[in-house]
Amino acid sequence: IPLQFAGLADVSISEDIPVEGEITVPVGAQSPEEDFSTLDEPVKDTIMRDLKAVGKKFVHVMYPKKSSALLRDWDLWGPLVLCVSLALMLQGGSADSKDDGGPQFAEVFVIIWFGAVVITLNSKLLGGTISFFQSLCVLGYCVMPLTVAMLVCRLVLLVGAGTVSFIIRLIVVVAMFGWSTLASTAFLADSQPPNRKALVVYPIFLFYFVISWMILTFTPQ
Amino acid sequence: RGAGGAGGKAGAAAGPSPLTVSPPQALVDDTEDVSLDLGSEEELALRKAAIRHPLATFFHLFFRVSAIITYLFCDWFSNSFVACFVTILLLLSFDFWSVKNVTGRLLVGLRWWNQIDEDGKSHWMFEAKRVPTIAASTEAEARIFWLGLIICPVIWTVFLFSTLFSLKLKWLALVIAGISLQTANLYGYIHCKLGGQKSISRVTSRFFVTADVPNRQTRRIPEDYTEQYGKTGT
Repeated sequence: IPLQFAGLADVSISEDIPVEGEITVPVGAQSPEEDFSTLDEPVKDTIMRDLKAVGKKFVHVMYPKKSSALLRDWDLWGPLVLCVSLALMLQGGSADSKDDGGPQFAEVFVIIWFGAVVITLNSKLLGGTISFFQSLCVLGYCVMPLTVAMLVCRLVLLVGAGTVSFIIRLIVVVAMFGWSTLASTAFLADSQPPNRKALVVYPIFLFYFVISWMILTFTPQ
Repeated sequence: RGAGGAGGKAGAAAGPSPLTVSPPQALVDDTEDVSLDLGSEEELALRKAAIRHPLATFFHLFFRVSAIITYLFCDWFSNSFVACFVTILLLLSFDFWSVKNVTGRLLVGLRWWNQIDEDGKSHWMFEAKRVPTIAASTEAEARIFWLGLIICPVIWTVFLFSTLFSLKLKWLALVIAGISLQTANLYGYIHCKLGGQKSISRVTSRFFVTADVPNRQTRRIPEDYTEQYGKTGT
């Protein structure tokens, strides 16, 4: 009997024998048991989880305080929805609308996404520690105040298009522009070394300025 | 992952006693089929079905094919460029999300995602499920999955060239978005399939791997799996 165990006495699991089994990659510090269930969770759970994450981020934009959780759990659904709604609302606002505002829609789209990509590249080249998609996520979500401003502008323009309405729109747009810039700077500037903060903030300022300009100069047919 | 790997059912031959360490036996007896404990009629039917996840298979193809069809026939559906653009974009986004989060893990047991750790560094993780359960995917499903995954980006690339050469540039943004989304999924799953060994071994060395495996998992250990996925440390 001792003979049967003898061979096993010098078995060392970590070195000689390939230990096999399910390789589950625990998410965060969860046990493998929990992660196994994320791999097999019902689809409804996945959807709800992602929806809640998106909702949480919208709330974070409204009250921008430094929160690493927001940055770590990035997603691009919010930016997509915001970009599409902003582009839709900016429709039909120029003289030549024979293409039913086609080019304007794609223009807004390209400006927002291309602008966000360029800002991200800029901050990465300046040595930022934030990742590409995180930065896109933050910039996209911080378009929300400007989308609200667009909504307000359209409503105001329904009422009238005179000087008073222009002043109201100006105030609203300037306020939202400031909010957007401050919110995104709160998240992004911290990832930069101190002497480079202005270099990073300036393109963000310009980005939101261009969008605000498009919103302010919108005149419906 | 240690002794538990053999599960409750590994019919290891000539085991001296329950005290022994299972892995050496499991390795030695890996040519032996592990018997599955088929408990019920339902499980039997599930095993025989050619497609075990009909909904997932349907949705895997539905969004991608709808996006392509809408792009090709948008003039028939609506006169408005904006409506077509938004519809196709939404279809592409839903397709990206469902293939990445749902159909991949249901149809082929693969998953990839991005994780940002405490230092703010971003890591791309690729995971492959190795233990086939009763409800695991079949060959038909896997084939549908990969065909859908590969053919659609190719079609969108064809659209890219046709847009460029016919100078219908207003569609360019959409086609580029389509290509990036679909190619991202393709790349992610190919990476999973080829076994992102670096990520897997790095993470398992950091986290404690427990030895208890749920009873419903039984294992067949083909030779190539051992080669492909290598060793995990304790």
